[in-house]
Amino acid sequence: MADEKMDVITAEDEEFALEGALENAKQYMTFKSGSEYYGIELKYVNEIMGIQSITEIPEVEDYIRGLINLRGKIVPVIDVRIRFKQEPFEYNDRTCIIIVDVRNTVIGLIVETIEDVVTIKDDDIEAPPSLTSANAKNKYVYGFGKVGDEVKLLLNPEKLIRDEDISAIDEVIEENY
Amino acid sequence: MSEEMDSMLDMYLYENGQLLQQLEMTTLEKKDADSFDEGDINEFFRIMHTIKGSSGIMMFDDIMKLAHKLEDVFFYIRESKPDNVPHLELVDKIFEVADFFREEFENIKDGGEPTKDSSALIKDIDKFLSKIKKEIVSEDKVLPKQEEDEEPTQFYIGAAGGDGAKYYYVMAYYRNDIQMCNIHAYALVNSLKENVDEMYYSPSDIITNEESADVILEQGFKILIKAHLELEEVKTILGGFDIEGVDVSECGKEDFEAGFDVPAPIIGSDVIDLGEADEAKTEDKKDEKKEDVTPGDYVIEKKSAGKKATLAKSKKAKASGTSFISVNVNKIDQLMDLIGEIVIAESTVLQNPDLNIEGLNLTNFHKSAAQLTKFTSEMQDVIMSMRMMPLTNTFQKMNRIVFDTSRKVGKNIEFKMIGETTEVDKNIIEHISDPLMHMIRNSIDHGIEEKEERKAAGKPEKGLITLEAKNEAGKVIISVSDDGGGMNPEKLFAKAKKNGIVPREKSIRDYTNKEIYQFITAPGFSTNEEVTELSGRGVGMDVVVKNLQTIGGMLEIDSEYGKGSCMMLKIPLTLAIISGILLEVGKQKFVIETNSVKEFINVRQSSVVKEPDGGEYLNVRGQHYMVVRLSEKYHIDSSVNDIDEGIMILTEYESRRMCIFVDKLLGGQEIVVKPIPDYIKKVDGLSGCTQLGDGSIALILDIATLAG
Repeated sequence: MADEKMDVITAEDEEFALEGALENAKQYMTFKSGSEYYGIELKYVNEIMGIQSITEIPEVEDYIRGLINLRGKIVPVIDVRIRFKQEPFEYNDRTCIIIVDVRNTVIGLIVETIEDVVTIKDDDIEAPPSLTSANAKNKYVYGFGKVGDEVKLLLNPEKLIRDEDISAIDEVIEENY
Repeated sequence: MSEEMDSMLDMYLYENGQLLQQLEMTTLEKKDADSFDEGDINEFFRIMHTIKGSSGIMMFDDIMKLAHKLEDVFFYIRESKPDNVPHLELVDKIFEVADFFREEFENIKDGGEPTKDSSALIKDIDKFLSKIKKEIVSEDKVLPKQEEDEEPTQFYIGAAGGDGAKYYYVMAYYRNDIQMCNIHAYALVNSLKENVDEMYYSPSDIITNEESADVILEQGFKILIKAHLELEEVKTILGGFDIEGVDVSECGKEDFEAGFDVPAPIIGSDVIDLGEADEAKTEDKKDEKKEDVTPGDYVIEKKSAGKKATLAKSKKAKASGTSFISVNVNKIDQLMDLIGEIVIAESTVLQNPDLNIEGLNLTNFHKSAAQLTKFTSEMQDVIMSMRMMPLTNTFQKMNRIVFDTSRKVGKNIEFKMIGETTEVDKNIIEHISDPLMHMIRNSIDHGIEEKEERKAAGKPEKGLITLEAKNEAGKVIISVSDDGGGMNPEKLFAKAKKNGIVPREKSIRDYTNKEIYQFITAPGFSTNEEVTELSGRGVGMDVVVKNLQTIGGMLEIDSEYGKGSCMMLKIPLTLAIISGILLEVGKQKFVIETNSVKEFINVRQSSVVKEPDGGEYLNVRGQHYMVVRLSEKYHIDSSVNDIDEGIMILTEYESRRMCIFVDKLLGGQEIVVKPIPDYIKKVDGLSGCTQLGDGSIALILDIATLAG
């Protein structure tokens, strides 16, 4: 399924794909959250789906919105805006869920709108200034990707879903075994 | 040809695998009895006979010879009914042979050749046979007769079409209980081929068409032969196969050339022409003379004299068996995913906003929709039940292990099985077999004491091991308990300290007994000083735990020194189906396991007592129970706050009772339990989630942790 989606995407952006194959560049799926554009490497993305009904789970972090049913698989979804400590937003039919697979953990990311698939050369990625380390956002952003005049904040999905939660996961694992 | 061989091999393995299972099951059932009854012996005889026959066809000589030998034993027992058969020894022999076969089958399955030598085992059985025979010498002559099985088939093969050839009409009947007699017939044809000049047979599609087996059963297998053989010789060739009855008659050249249109010995009425093309020639196509055989050779006589009895009998035998096919689990998983998607798609169609147009007459649409909903939900049920299997087979296997192990260590042990029909997901079954085996072996080897010790402790001489399976609080619990010596926490602790499992500075007081018992699951821990064949190398329990972890299970160990131990496998809900009650709080749906519900109560505000700090208690027939409001506990917006409007669910867990207050009940339902993804931290009171018929998700309440 995931492969199918990827095929569709690459077919649409053939020139990008070609370029990507030739040079030191990677493809990114970009989406909008708040006023910024973010990018996530395409290899993590399984599929994109419209917003659907979410079952809330009580007593969990606020950005974990709950569970969705992905063809019989139960997948947790997180709201990227709340995760970024931005203002929550109303879900509408432009709202999308990006299903990512990060080291076998499948998670849905709720984002406002999907933008595009772009190819960014490794040379065009700039490390975020370490000066702003006080800014919480930098934890998930590992680089600024330049696409034409625009800048996309490139996300490290592993940090996005884990990071400070990692201790929580360990706890759960310990409890289970 | 090789493809034919492959499919034959598959059938061979499948058929004989089933027989082997049947053999073991019957043997296990009767292992504690004094002897097998006549039905069992007949069954064993039949099984051995079939294995012998089919192995002969596949040219697995060692298997065949061994089966033949054991068949001899049963034959003897059946015919002369000796009353001095050492039952246990016989059981042993059966198991030995079954094990031999199983290993060989595995070998063949992996693409190898059966290589093991069965002669030692045969000699063994021979000895056994002569031992039981000694007492009744007079019956001696029964056996040698059987030996003529595998006749060497060397005959003078004359030039094809030469003069002096004789023509025969052969009619072979098979016993009704022989499976896939088309294969047997094929083997027959194969062996005849070498010796005859020309041959036709009917039905002709014995390899490609499995239904031909039924035709053969009902009508017999017909062969026309042209050969330079005497009647007796033909009979000898045919004698080596699993044929119940065979008629060989000489016939004229004309009859031979007329094919089966004129069934010589049988006068058929109501002839149905199947109109199949001429495929009768087996391999000698070069012989152009064959052209005069008329097409449409194959006929099936609907009624032939003297056949009715057999026909009726065969029907009866067939009806009793349930038939199974084996399907790749992946396909079932796929099917399950698909049905999930269909259900979701269905609800999007049926609740499509486009349907909400004023004045639209949708009566017929709704009727059809209701029909569709009914079918999809039925389909869902069926698919879910497909993955579930009872533990019966696993438990039976354990029975065998108890039998083997207890004999090996010389302990007398009774094995009790409870709840073997508990259904669990197939994946789980595959993973618990090994852990259970280890645990049971451990119980026998370490748990149950020697006879003298038991006597001294005032216990019955016979040790008791109980294997129990049950569904509890949404978990499958499988426990192995014994009434043996139990574990000595002090000894365990000392050992653990010696092996470096516990840090030196800790003392025994730092641990509870249960924690100490868990030490035995540490790698490299073995309390038995001596390493026996069965256990003591310390690779048992940690493997058990590892195996369990792959399916997310847990091992709980409890023991009372001197009284026995109990090991409990707690296997999580993954795909286990429980019957639950669906309820609603606000917009959120929950499921509570039906077993933990005592009753539903509509209560009035007046029967609720409130504590100053907010705790509420409900008075039910003079008893007070703590009340948990789900909407408050989980901070759910709910319009139902008035006790009078909602409903109370009185639950019980390990004799602790409490009331749960919810908005309303939606109904009972069988649900497939899925774990909440690991990503989400454990929430008190929730043990899993499930997908409802409409694709939405409901959370499963865990009574055990809800109150905390």
